[in-house]
Amino acid sequence: MIDSHLDFARTGVVGFGTMGAGIAQVVARSGRAVTVLDLDAGRLETGLAAVRTFLDGGVARGKLTENERDAVLGRITGTTDVHDLAGAELVIEAATENSGTKREILARVTAEAGDSAVIVTNTSALSVTDLATALPRPERFAGLHFFNPAQLMRVVEVVRALQTDESVVERLVSLVESFGKDAVVVKDRPGFLVNHLVMPYLNDVIQEYDDGLATAEDIDTALKLGLGYKLGPLELLDLIGLDVHDHATTSAYEATRDPAYASPPLLRQMVAAGHHGTKNGRGFRAGQVPA
Amino acid sequence: MNQRSTVAVLGAGTMGSGIATVMSRAGYRTLFYDVDEANLRRGVAGVNGFFDRSVSLGKLDREQALEAKTKLVGVTELREIADADVIVEAVFENLALKKEIFALLDEIISTSALIHTNTSTLSVTAIASGSRHPERVVGTHYCNPAPLMKLVEVANGRHTADWAHKATVGFLGSLGKTTVVTKDRPGFIVNRFLIPWENRCIAALESGLGTTESIDAAVTGALGHPMGPFRLLDIVGLDIHQQVATRLYEQLRDPRFFPPPMVERMVAAGDLGRKTGRGFYTYDDTRLFGS
Repeated sequence: MIDSHLDFARTGVVGFGTMGAGIAQVVARSGRAVTVLDLDAGRLETGLAAVRTFLDGGVARGKLTENERDAVLGRITGTTDVHDLAGAELVIEAATENSGTKREILARVTAEAGDSAVIVTNTSALSVTDLATALPRPERFAGLHFFNPAQLMRVVEVVRALQTDESVVERLVSLVESFGKDAVVVKDRPGFLVNHLVMPYLNDVIQEYDDGLATAEDIDTALKLGLGYKLGPLELLDLIGLDVHDHATTSAYEATRDPAYASPPLLRQMVAAGHHGTKNGRGFRAGQVPA
Repeated sequence: MNQRSTVAVLGAGTMGSGIATVMSRAGYRTLFYDVDEANLRRGVAGVNGFFDRSVSLGKLDREQALEAKTKLVGVTELREIADADVIVEAVFENLALKKEIFALLDEIISTSALIHTNTSTLSVTAIASGSRHPERVVGTHYCNPAPLMKLVEVANGRHTADWAHKATVGFLGSLGKTTVVTKDRPGFIVNRFLIPWENRCIAALESGLGTTESIDAAVTGALGHPMGPFRLLDIVGLDIHQQVATRLYEQLRDPRFFPPPMVERMVAAGDLGRKTGRGFYTYDDTRLFGS
Protein backbone atom coordinates (compact mmCIF):
# COMPACT_ATOMS: atom_id res chain seq x y z
CA MET A 1 0.00 0.00 0.00
CA ILE A 2 1.28 3.45 -0.93
CA ASP A 3 0.66 6.45 1.26
CA SER A 4 -0.20 9.13 -1.30
CA HIS A 5 -0.33 11.87 1.36
CA LEU A 6 3.42 11.71 1.82
CA ASP A 7 5.64 14.29 0.18
CA PHE A 8 7.52 12.56 -2.64
CA ALA A 9 4.99 9.67 -2.59
CA ARG A 10 6.32 8.58 -5.98
CA THR A 11 10.07 8.34 -6.05
CA GLY A 12 12.54 7.11 -8.64
CA VAL A 13 16.00 5.69 -7.96
CA VAL A 14 18.61 5.46 -10.73
CA GLY A 15 21.08 2.59 -10.35
CA PHE A 16 20.47 -0.72 -8.59
CA GLY A 17 23.94 -1.30 -7.16
CA THR A 18 24.67 -1.55 -3.42
CA MET A 19 23.73 2.06 -2.67
CA GLY A 20 20.71 2.12 -5.02
CA ALA A 21 19.30 -1.06 -3.45
CA GLY A 22 19.81 0.26 0.08
CA ILE A 23 18.23 3.61 -0.76
CA ALA A 24 15.25 2.00 -2.59
CA GLN A 25 14.59 -0.14 0.49
CA VAL A 26 14.74 2.84 2.87
CA VAL A 27 12.34 4.87 0.69
CA ALA A 28 9.91 1.96 0.19
CA ARG A 29 9.95 1.22 3.91
CA SER A 30 8.67 4.77 4.53
CA GLY A 31 5.48 4.02 2.53
CA ARG A 32 6.55 5.51 -0.79
CA ALA A 33 6.36 3.86 -4.23
CA VAL A 34 9.84 3.41 -5.70
CA THR A 35 10.70 2.84 -9.35
CA VAL A 36 14.32 1.75 -9.76
CA LEU A 37 15.89 2.34 -13.15
CA ASP A 38 18.90 0.35 -14.26
CA LEU A 39 19.75 -0.18 -17.93
CA ASP A 40 21.27 -3.56 -17.02
CA ALA A 41 18.41 -6.08 -16.55
CA GLY A 42 20.79 -8.39 -14.66
CA ARG A 43 21.42 -5.70 -12.05
CA LEU A 44 17.66 -5.22 -11.59
CA GLU A 45 17.45 -8.87 -10.61
CA THR A 46 20.44 -8.85 -8.25
CA GLY A 47 19.28 -5.53 -6.76
CA LEU A 48 15.80 -6.82 -5.98
CA ALA A 49 17.28 -10.05 -4.62
CA ALA A 50 19.57 -8.01 -2.34
CA VAL A 51 16.59 -6.07 -0.94
CA ARG A 52 14.67 -9.32 -0.38
CA THR A 53 17.63 -10.95 1.39
CA PHE A 54 18.08 -7.93 3.64
CA LEU A 55 14.36 -7.88 4.53
CA ASP A 56 14.33 -11.65 5.11
CA GLY A 57 17.12 -11.14 7.64
CA GLY A 58 14.93 -8.56 9.37
CA VAL A 59 12.01 -11.00 9.47
CA ALA A 60 14.26 -13.73 10.92
CA ARG A 61 15.40 -11.35 13.69
CA GLY A 62 11.83 -10.21 14.39
CA LYS A 63 12.45 -6.63 13.18
CA LEU A 64 9.51 -6.76 10.77
CA THR A 65 6.66 -9.15 9.88
CA GLU A 66 6.35 -11.16 6.68
CA ASN A 67 3.43 -8.91 5.68
CA GLU A 68 5.55 -5.81 6.16
CA ARG A 69 8.35 -7.36 4.09
CA ASP A 70 5.93 -8.17 1.29
CA ALA A 71 4.48 -4.65 1.42
CA VAL A 72 7.95 -3.08 1.11
CA LEU A 73 8.86 -5.37 -1.80
CA GLY A 74 5.47 -4.60 -3.39
CA ARG A 75 6.31 -0.90 -3.45
CA ILE A 76 9.55 -1.44 -5.40
CA THR A 77 9.39 -1.81 -9.21
CA GLY A 78 12.47 -2.35 -11.34
CA THR A 79 12.64 -1.03 -14.88
CA THR A 80 15.11 -0.64 -17.74
CA ASP A 81 12.92 2.03 -19.40
CA VAL A 82 13.62 5.66 -18.45
CA HIS A 83 10.02 6.59 -19.45
CA ASP A 84 8.83 4.77 -16.32
CA LEU A 85 10.22 7.69 -14.27
CA ALA A 86 7.53 9.98 -15.74
CA GLY A 87 5.48 11.49 -12.94
CA ALA A 88 8.06 10.85 -10.21
CA GLU A 89 8.12 13.71 -7.67
CA LEU A 90 11.66 12.86 -6.59
CA VAL A 91 14.47 11.08 -8.40
CA ILE A 92 17.53 9.89 -6.47
CA GLU A 93 20.51 9.31 -8.75
CA ALA A 94 22.83 6.55 -7.44
CA ALA A 95 24.76 5.65 -10.59
CA THR A 96 28.51 5.22 -11.10
CA GLU A 97 30.78 7.93 -9.61
CA ASN A 98 31.66 9.45 -12.96
CA SER A 99 30.87 13.04 -13.78
CA GLY A 100 30.15 12.47 -17.48
CA THR A 101 27.85 9.52 -16.81
CA LYS A 102 26.02 11.32 -14.03
CA ARG A 103 25.50 14.50 -16.08
CA GLU A 104 24.05 12.52 -18.96
CA ILE A 105 21.73 10.54 -16.67
CA LEU A 106 20.59 13.63 -14.79
CA ALA A 107 19.66 15.49 -18.00
CA ARG A 108 17.76 12.47 -19.32
CA VAL A 109 15.93 11.78 -16.06
CA THR A 110 14.91 15.43 -15.63
CA ALA A 111 13.36 15.44 -19.09
CA GLU A 112 11.16 12.45 -18.09
CA ALA A 113 10.26 13.47 -14.54
CA GLY A 114 9.15 16.98 -15.48
CA ASP A 115 9.75 20.50 -14.23
CA SER A 116 8.25 20.17 -10.77
CA ALA A 117 10.29 17.13 -9.75
CA VAL A 118 13.14 17.38 -7.27
CA ILE A 119 16.30 15.63 -8.48
CA VAL A 120 19.06 14.60 -6.06
CA THR A 121 22.41 12.87 -6.41
CA ASN A 122 23.93 10.39 -3.97
CA THR A 123 27.46 11.31 -5.02
CA SER A 124 30.16 11.24 -2.37
CA ALA A 125 33.03 12.48 -4.51
CA LEU A 126 31.71 14.99 -7.06
CA SER A 127 30.65 18.61 -6.69
CA VAL A 128 26.87 18.92 -6.45
CA THR A 129 27.09 22.52 -7.66
CA ASP A 130 28.91 21.35 -10.78
CA LEU A 131 26.42 18.52 -11.47
CA ALA A 132 23.54 21.01 -11.06
CA THR A 133 24.70 22.79 -14.22
CA ALA A 134 23.61 19.72 -16.23
CA LEU A 135 19.97 20.42 -15.31
CA PRO A 136 17.58 23.00 -16.79
CA ARG A 137 16.26 23.81 -13.27
CA PRO A 138 19.34 23.62 -11.03
CA GLU A 139 17.46 25.20 -8.12
CA ARG A 140 15.47 21.97 -7.78
CA PHE A 141 18.65 19.90 -7.44
CA ALA A 142 20.64 18.95 -4.32
CA GLY A 143 22.82 16.20 -2.89
CA LEU A 144 21.35 13.45 -0.70
CA HIS A 145 24.33 11.51 0.58
CA PHE A 146 23.55 8.14 2.21
CA PHE A 147 26.18 6.07 3.99
CA ASN A 148 26.68 2.38 3.34
CA PRO A 149 24.73 0.33 4.35
CA ALA A 150 21.94 2.86 3.78
CA GLN A 151 19.40 0.70 5.62
CA LEU A 152 21.39 0.88 8.86
CA MET A 153 23.29 4.15 8.95
CA ARG A 154 21.38 6.78 10.91
CA VAL A 155 22.67 9.86 9.11
CA VAL A 156 22.02 11.30 5.66
CA GLU A 157 23.82 14.44 4.49
CA VAL A 158 21.62 16.95 2.66
CA VAL A 159 24.04 18.85 0.43
CA ARG A 160 23.08 22.38 -0.47
CA ALA A 161 24.55 23.37 -3.84
CA LEU A 162 25.04 27.06 -4.59
CA GLN A 163 21.92 26.90 -6.79
CA THR A 164 19.66 24.86 -4.47
CA ASP A 165 16.36 26.49 -3.45
CA GLU A 166 15.89 26.67 0.34
CA SER A 167 12.42 25.04 0.11
CA VAL A 168 14.03 22.01 -1.56
CA VAL A 169 16.49 21.70 1.33
CA GLU A 170 13.61 21.85 3.81
CA ARG A 171 11.61 19.16 1.98
CA LEU A 172 14.64 16.89 1.85
CA VAL A 173 15.28 17.32 5.57
CA SER A 174 11.66 16.29 6.26
CA LEU A 175 12.07 13.35 3.90
CA VAL A 176 15.14 12.09 5.76
CA GLU A 177 13.34 12.51 9.09
CA SER A 178 10.41 10.46 7.72
CA PHE A 179 12.93 7.62 7.23
CA GLY A 180 13.65 7.77 10.96
CA LYS A 181 17.12 9.14 10.23
CA ASP A 182 19.02 12.30 11.15
CA ALA A 183 19.47 14.87 8.38
CA VAL A 184 22.64 16.94 8.49
CA VAL A 185 22.60 19.93 6.12
CA VAL A 186 26.10 20.48 4.76
CA LYS A 187 27.97 22.73 2.36
CA ASP A 188 29.02 21.50 -1.06
CA ARG A 189 32.68 21.04 -0.21
CA PRO A 190 34.91 18.13 -1.19
CA GLY A 191 33.91 15.27 1.12
CA PHE A 192 30.94 17.30 2.44
CA LEU A 193 31.16 16.90 6.23
CA VAL A 194 31.74 13.26 7.23
CA ASN A 195 34.24 12.40 4.50
CA HIS A 196 35.99 15.75 4.98
CA LEU A 197 36.67 14.56 8.53
CA VAL A 198 37.27 10.86 8.00
CA MET A 199 39.30 10.60 4.78
CA PRO A 200 42.46 12.26 6.16
CA TYR A 201 42.23 10.00 9.23
CA LEU A 202 41.99 6.88 7.07
CA ASN A 203 44.88 8.02 4.86
CA ASP A 204 46.97 8.73 7.95
CA VAL A 205 46.29 5.22 9.30
CA ILE A 206 47.29 3.62 5.98
CA GLN A 207 50.58 5.57 5.90
CA GLU A 208 51.46 4.74 9.52
CA TYR A 209 50.61 1.09 8.92
CA ASP A 210 52.90 1.12 5.88
CA ASP A 211 55.57 2.76 8.08
CA GLY A 212 55.38 -0.15 10.52
CA LEU A 213 53.74 1.49 13.56
CA ALA A 214 51.89 -1.75 14.41
CA THR A 215 50.14 -4.68 12.72
CA ALA A 216 46.82 -4.03 10.95
CA GLU A 217 45.06 -6.13 13.58
CA ASP A 218 46.64 -4.22 16.49
CA ILE A 219 45.78 -0.82 14.96
CA ASP A 220 42.13 -1.87 14.65
CA THR A 221 42.06 -3.43 18.13
CA ALA A 222 43.61 -0.33 19.73
CA LEU A 223 41.07 2.07 18.23
CA LYS A 224 38.11 -0.21 18.93
CA LEU A 225 39.02 -0.90 22.56
CA GLY A 226 40.53 2.52 23.23
CA LEU A 227 37.75 4.61 21.69
CA GLY A 228 34.77 2.25 21.44
CA TYR A 229 34.60 2.35 17.63
CA LYS A 230 32.49 -0.46 16.15
CA LEU A 231 35.05 -0.96 13.39
CA GLY A 232 38.75 -0.30 13.28
CA PRO A 233 39.97 2.00 10.47
CA LEU A 234 41.49 -0.80 8.38
CA GLU A 235 38.39 -3.01 8.71
CA LEU A 236 36.33 0.05 7.74
CA LEU A 237 38.48 0.63 4.65
CA ASP A 238 38.01 -3.00 3.61
CA LEU A 239 34.26 -2.57 3.97
CA ILE A 240 34.10 0.76 2.10
CA GLY A 241 36.20 -0.76 -0.69
CA LEU A 242 39.79 0.33 -1.24
CA ASP A 243 38.99 1.39 -4.82
CA VAL A 244 36.03 3.48 -3.60
CA HIS A 245 38.09 5.21 -0.89
CA ASP A 246 40.98 5.79 -3.32
CA HIS A 247 38.64 7.41 -5.82
CA ALA A 248 36.91 9.59 -3.23
CA THR A 249 40.08 10.81 -1.55
CA THR A 250 41.81 11.44 -4.90
CA SER A 251 38.81 13.51 -6.05
CA ALA A 252 39.03 15.57 -2.85
CA TYR A 253 42.79 15.96 -3.35
CA GLU A 254 42.34 17.19 -6.92
CA ALA A 255 39.71 19.67 -5.80
CA THR A 256 41.72 21.05 -2.87
CA ARG A 257 45.40 20.08 -3.35
CA ASP A 258 45.32 19.38 0.39
CA PRO A 259 47.95 16.68 1.07
CA ALA A 260 45.74 15.22 3.82
CA TYR A 261 43.61 13.82 0.97
CA ALA A 262 46.50 12.49 -1.11
CA SER A 263 46.02 8.76 -1.61
CA PRO A 264 48.89 6.99 0.20
CA PRO A 265 51.21 4.98 -2.08
CA LEU A 266 50.30 1.67 -0.40
CA LEU A 267 46.60 2.29 -1.09
CA ARG A 268 47.23 3.03 -4.76
CA GLN A 269 49.35 -0.09 -5.05
CA MET A 270 46.72 -2.26 -3.41
CA VAL A 271 44.07 -0.93 -5.79
CA ALA A 272 46.40 -1.48 -8.76
CA ALA A 273 46.98 -5.06 -7.59
CA GLY A 274 43.23 -5.63 -7.45
CA HIS A 275 42.96 -5.69 -3.64
CA HIS A 276 39.57 -4.03 -3.21
CA GLY A 277 38.69 -5.10 0.34
CA THR A 278 35.84 -7.23 1.63
CA LYS A 279 34.05 -7.43 -1.72
CA ASN A 280 36.83 -9.51 -3.27
CA GLY A 281 38.31 -10.93 -0.09
CA ARG A 282 41.65 -9.10 -0.30
CA GLY A 283 42.42 -6.04 1.73
CA PHE A 284 44.12 -4.81 4.89
CA ARG A 285 42.30 -7.36 7.04
CA ALA A 286 40.17 -9.27 4.51
CA GLY A 287 41.93 -12.45 3.42
CA GLN A 288 44.68 -12.00 6.04
CA VAL A 289 45.33 -14.71 8.61
CA PRO A 290 45.16 -13.17 12.11
CA ALA A 291 48.60 -13.12 13.76
CA MET B 1 59.99 -16.61 36.07
CA ASN B 2 56.25 -16.19 36.11
CA GLN B 3 55.97 -16.16 39.90
CA ARG B 4 55.51 -12.42 40.09
CA SER B 5 53.30 -11.69 43.09
CA THR B 6 54.12 -8.15 44.21
CA VAL B 7 53.57 -5.03 42.15
CA ALA B 8 54.50 -1.43 42.95
CA VAL B 9 52.51 1.44 41.48
CA LEU B 10 54.28 4.81 41.63
CA GLY B 11 52.09 7.91 41.67
CA ALA B 12 48.62 8.17 43.21
CA GLY B 13 46.98 10.40 40.61
CA THR B 14 44.08 9.35 38.38
CA MET B 15 46.08 6.86 36.30
CA GLY B 16 48.10 5.49 39.23
CA SER B 17 44.93 4.93 41.27
CA GLY B 18 43.24 3.22 38.32
CA ILE B 19 46.25 0.97 37.76
CA ALA B 20 46.51 0.14 41.49
CA THR B 21 42.84 -0.85 41.35
CA VAL B 22 43.54 -3.21 38.45
CA MET B 23 46.54 -4.80 40.24
CA SER B 24 44.86 -5.38 43.61
CA ARG B 25 41.69 -6.68 41.93
CA ALA B 26 43.81 -9.19 39.95
CA GLY B 27 45.20 -10.54 43.25
CA TYR B 28 48.65 -8.93 43.30
CA ARG B 29 50.01 -7.52 46.52
CA THR B 30 50.10 -3.86 45.49
CA LEU B 31 52.55 -1.38 46.99
CA PHE B 32 51.00 1.97 46.19
CA TYR B 33 53.56 4.78 46.43
CA ASP B 34 53.26 8.54 46.44
CA VAL B 35 55.75 10.96 47.94
CA ASP B 36 52.86 13.16 49.12
CA GLU B 37 50.85 11.64 51.96
CA ALA B 38 47.67 13.56 51.16
CA ASN B 39 47.83 12.39 47.53
CA LEU B 40 48.35 8.85 48.67
CA ARG B 41 45.36 9.01 51.03
CA ARG B 42 43.17 10.32 48.21
CA GLY B 43 44.45 7.59 45.90
CA VAL B 44 43.82 4.78 48.42
CA ALA B 45 40.34 6.18 49.10
CA GLY B 46 39.74 6.20 45.34
CA VAL B 47 40.69 2.55 44.98
CA ASN B 48 38.59 1.47 47.98
CA GLY B 49 35.70 3.59 46.73
CA PHE B 50 35.86 1.82 43.38
CA PHE B 51 35.58 -1.57 45.10
CA ASP B 52 32.66 -0.37 47.28
CA ARG B 53 30.79 0.83 44.18
CA SER B 54 31.51 -2.47 42.44
CA VAL B 55 29.82 -4.23 45.38
CA SER B 56 26.79 -1.95 45.30
CA LEU B 57 26.52 -2.47 41.51
CA GLY B 58 26.69 -6.23 42.03
CA LYS B 59 29.94 -6.57 40.03
CA LEU B 60 31.85 -7.89 43.04
CA ASP B 61 30.75 -9.68 46.21
CA ARG B 62 31.79 -8.42 49.65
CA GLU B 63 34.49 -11.04 50.16
CA GLN B 64 36.09 -10.26 46.80
CA ALA B 65 36.09 -6.54 47.56
CA LEU B 66 37.61 -7.11 51.00
CA GLU B 67 40.25 -9.43 49.52
CA ALA B 68 41.19 -6.80 46.91
CA LYS B 69 41.37 -4.04 49.53
CA THR B 70 43.71 -6.07 51.75
CA LYS B 71 46.08 -6.44 48.79
CA LEU B 72 46.61 -2.68 48.68
CA VAL B 73 49.40 -1.20 50.82
CA GLY B 74 50.06 2.54 50.71
CA VAL B 75 53.68 3.66 51.13
CA THR B 76 55.38 7.06 51.08
CA GLU B 77 59.00 5.86 51.14
CA LEU B 78 60.38 4.57 47.86
CA ARG B 79 62.60 1.98 49.62
CA GLU B 80 59.42 0.23 50.82
CA ILE B 81 58.82 -1.10 47.31
CA ALA B 82 62.13 -3.02 47.32
CA ASP B 83 60.60 -6.49 46.94
CA ALA B 84 58.29 -5.62 44.03
CA ASP B 85 58.49 -7.94 41.00
CA VAL B 86 56.88 -5.39 38.68
CA ILE B 87 57.11 -1.62 39.06
CA VAL B 88 54.56 0.52 37.21
CA GLU B 89 55.60 4.15 37.09
CA ALA B 90 52.59 6.49 36.72
CA VAL B 91 53.84 9.84 38.01
CA PHE B 92 53.31 13.20 36.28
CA GLU B 93 53.92 13.31 32.54
CA ASN B 94 57.31 14.99 32.97
CA LEU B 95 60.43 13.45 31.46
CA ALA B 96 62.91 14.83 34.04
CA LEU B 97 60.78 13.59 36.94
CA LYS B 98 60.32 10.14 35.43
CA LYS B 99 64.05 9.77 34.73
CA GLU B 100 64.87 10.90 38.26
CA ILE B 101 62.59 8.23 39.74
CA PHE B 102 64.10 5.57 37.49
CA ALA B 103 67.58 6.50 38.72
CA LEU B 104 66.40 6.16 42.33
CA LEU B 105 64.90 2.74 41.53
CA ASP B 106 68.36 1.51 40.44
CA GLU B 107 69.45 1.53 44.09
CA ILE B 108 66.31 -0.11 45.46
CA ILE B 109 64.66 -2.75 43.29
CA SER B 110 65.68 -6.33 42.59
CA THR B 111 67.72 -7.14 39.51
CA SER B 112 64.94 -9.28 38.06
CA ALA B 113 62.09 -6.75 38.41
CA LEU B 114 60.22 -5.53 35.34
CA ILE B 115 59.98 -1.75 35.08
CA HIS B 116 56.91 -0.34 33.35
CA THR B 117 56.25 3.27 32.48
CA ASN B 118 52.70 4.50 31.88
CA THR B 119 53.32 7.41 29.57
CA SER B 120 50.97 8.71 26.91
CA THR B 121 53.15 11.24 25.12
CA LEU B 122 56.79 10.74 26.15
CA SER B 123 59.33 8.44 24.54
CA VAL B 124 59.84 5.12 26.33
CA THR B 125 63.47 5.19 25.20
CA ALA B 126 63.98 8.64 26.73
CA ILE B 127 62.42 7.60 30.05
CA ALA B 128 64.42 4.35 30.10
CA SER B 129 67.64 6.34 29.68
CA GLY B 130 67.23 7.36 33.32
CA SER B 131 67.69 3.73 34.40
CA ARG B 132 70.83 1.61 34.52
CA HIS B 133 68.61 -1.25 33.30
CA PRO B 134 66.93 0.01 30.12
CA GLU B 135 66.65 -3.60 28.92
CA ARG B 136 63.98 -4.17 31.60
CA VAL B 137 61.99 -1.00 30.89
CA VAL B 138 58.77 -1.39 28.85
CA GLY B 139 56.14 1.23 28.00
CA THR B 140 52.64 0.18 29.10
CA HIS B 141 50.01 2.77 28.24
CA TYR B 142 46.71 2.20 30.06
CA CYS B 143 43.50 3.98 29.04
CA ASN B 144 41.47 6.06 31.45
CA PRO B 145 39.57 4.78 33.45
CA ALA B 146 42.06 1.92 33.78
CA PRO B 147 39.80 -0.48 35.73
CA LEU B 148 37.14 -0.34 32.98
CA MET B 149 39.19 -0.10 29.80
CA LYS B 150 40.63 -3.37 28.51
CA LEU B 151 43.30 -1.90 26.25
CA VAL B 152 46.98 -1.51 27.10
CA GLU B 153 49.43 -0.32 24.43
CA VAL B 154 52.86 -1.94 24.83
CA ALA B 155 55.92 -0.16 23.42
CA ASN B 156 59.53 -1.23 23.66
CA GLY B 157 62.32 1.30 24.06
CA ARG B 158 65.39 0.92 21.89
CA HIS B 159 67.14 -1.20 24.53
CA THR B 160 64.20 -3.26 25.82
CA ALA B 161 65.07 -6.96 25.96
CA ASP B 162 62.86 -9.46 24.21
CA TRP B 163 62.34 -11.43 27.46
CA ALA B 164 61.14 -8.26 29.22
CA HIS B 165 58.67 -7.56 26.41
CA LYS B 166 57.30 -11.11 26.48
CA ALA B 167 57.07 -11.15 30.29
CA THR B 168 55.19 -7.83 30.13
CA VAL B 169 52.62 -9.10 27.63
CA GLY B 170 52.13 -12.21 29.80
CA PHE B 171 51.77 -10.10 32.94
CA LEU B 172 49.17 -7.79 31.33
CA GLY B 173 47.26 -10.88 30.20
CA SER B 174 47.10 -12.01 33.85
CA LEU B 175 45.32 -8.69 34.58
CA GLY B 176 42.67 -9.49 31.98
CA LYS B 177 43.95 -6.77 29.65
CA THR B 178 44.13 -6.93 25.84
CA THR B 179 47.53 -5.79 24.60
CA VAL B 180 48.55 -4.28 21.30
CA VAL B 181 52.19 -3.83 20.35
CA THR B 182 53.28 -0.48 18.97
CA LYS B 183 56.53 1.24 18.09
CA ASP B 184 57.91 3.84 20.51
CA ARG B 185 56.55 6.77 18.52
CA PRO B 186 54.73 9.88 19.79
CA GLY B 187 51.12 9.04 20.70
CA PHE B 188 51.55 5.29 20.13
CA ILE B 189 48.38 4.17 18.29
CA VAL B 190 45.31 5.68 19.97
CA ASN B 191 46.54 9.23 20.60
CA ARG B 192 48.48 9.22 17.33
CA PHE B 193 45.18 9.03 15.44
CA LEU B 194 42.77 10.55 17.97
CA ILE B 195 44.51 13.92 18.35
CA PRO B 196 44.57 14.95 14.64
CA TRP B 197 41.02 13.61 14.29
CA GLU B 198 39.76 15.76 17.18
CA ASN B 199 41.70 18.77 15.91
CA ARG B 200 40.15 18.40 12.46
CA CYS B 201 36.64 18.20 13.97
CA ILE B 202 37.31 21.36 16.02
CA ALA B 203 38.65 23.13 12.91
CA ALA B 204 35.53 22.08 10.96
CA LEU B 205 33.36 23.56 13.70
CA GLU B 206 35.39 26.77 13.72
CA SER B 207 35.14 27.12 9.95
CA GLY B 208 31.37 26.69 9.95
CA LEU B 209 31.12 23.29 8.27
CA GLY B 210 28.61 22.27 10.91
CA THR B 211 27.46 22.89 14.47
CA THR B 212 28.59 21.07 17.62
CA GLU B 213 25.38 19.05 17.47
CA SER B 214 25.38 18.36 13.71
CA ILE B 215 29.01 17.22 13.66
CA ASP B 216 28.48 14.94 16.67
CA ALA B 217 25.30 13.54 15.05
CA ALA B 218 27.03 13.03 11.69
CA VAL B 219 29.99 11.19 13.25
CA THR B 220 27.96 8.91 15.50
CA GLY B 221 25.35 8.22 12.81
CA ALA B 222 27.66 7.69 9.84
CA LEU B 223 30.74 6.12 11.47
CA GLY B 224 29.33 4.17 14.41
CA HIS B 225 31.44 5.98 17.00
CA PRO B 226 29.94 5.68 20.50
CA MET B 227 30.00 9.46 20.93
CA GLY B 228 30.81 12.44 18.76
CA PRO B 229 34.12 14.34 18.95
CA PHE B 230 32.77 17.19 21.09
CA ARG B 231 31.06 14.96 23.68
CA LEU B 232 34.35 13.08 23.95
CA LEU B 233 36.46 16.25 24.26
CA ASP B 234 34.17 17.48 27.04
CA ILE B 235 34.82 14.25 28.97
CA VAL B 236 38.58 14.24 28.30
CA GLY B 237 38.83 17.93 29.23
CA LEU B 238 39.93 20.70 26.87
CA ASP B 239 43.01 21.40 29.01
CA ILE B 240 44.10 17.76 28.76
CA HIS B 241 43.49 17.74 25.00
CA GLN B 242 45.56 20.92 24.68
CA GLN B 243 48.45 19.43 26.69
CA VAL B 244 48.52 16.12 24.84
CA ALA B 245 48.16 17.75 21.42
CA THR B 246 50.86 20.32 22.15
CA ARG B 247 53.30 17.68 23.41
CA LEU B 248 52.76 15.59 20.29
CA TYR B 249 53.15 18.67 18.10
CA GLU B 250 56.42 19.56 19.81
CA GLN B 251 57.83 16.14 18.94
CA LEU B 252 56.39 15.74 15.45
CA ARG B 253 56.28 19.37 14.21
CA ASP B 254 53.28 18.35 12.13
CA PRO B 255 50.55 21.05 12.20
CA ARG B 256 47.79 18.44 12.28
CA PHE B 257 48.70 17.85 15.93
CA PHE B 258 48.59 21.49 17.01
CA PRO B 259 45.34 22.40 18.81
CA PRO B 260 43.18 24.81 16.76
CA PRO B 261 42.92 28.36 18.21
CA MET B 262 39.44 27.67 19.58
CA VAL B 263 40.96 25.29 22.16
CA GLU B 264 43.14 28.02 23.64
CA ARG B 265 40.14 30.36 23.91
CA MET B 266 38.07 27.70 25.64
CA VAL B 267 40.86 26.90 28.10
CA ALA B 268 41.42 30.61 28.79
CA ALA B 269 37.71 31.02 29.50
CA GLY B 270 37.74 28.04 31.88
CA ASP B 271 35.39 26.05 29.65
CA LEU B 272 37.24 22.78 30.15
CA GLY B 273 34.33 20.40 29.59
CA ARG B 274 32.23 18.35 31.96
CA LYS B 275 34.43 18.93 34.98
CA THR B 276 33.73 22.68 34.90
CA GLY B 277 30.11 22.37 33.75
CA ARG B 278 30.83 23.94 30.38
CA GLY B 279 32.81 22.96 27.30
CA PHE B 280 31.29 22.47 23.87
CA TYR B 281 28.06 21.70 25.76
CA THR B 282 26.81 22.81 29.18
CA TYR B 283 26.22 20.42 32.07
CA ASP B 284 24.32 20.52 35.34
CA ASP B 285 26.18 17.43 36.57
CA THR B 286 29.97 17.73 36.55
CA ARG B 287 30.66 14.12 37.59
CA LEU B 288 32.43 11.83 35.15
CA PHE B 289 31.62 8.19 34.52
CA GLY B 290 28.62 8.40 36.88
CA SER B 291 30.97 8.12 39.85
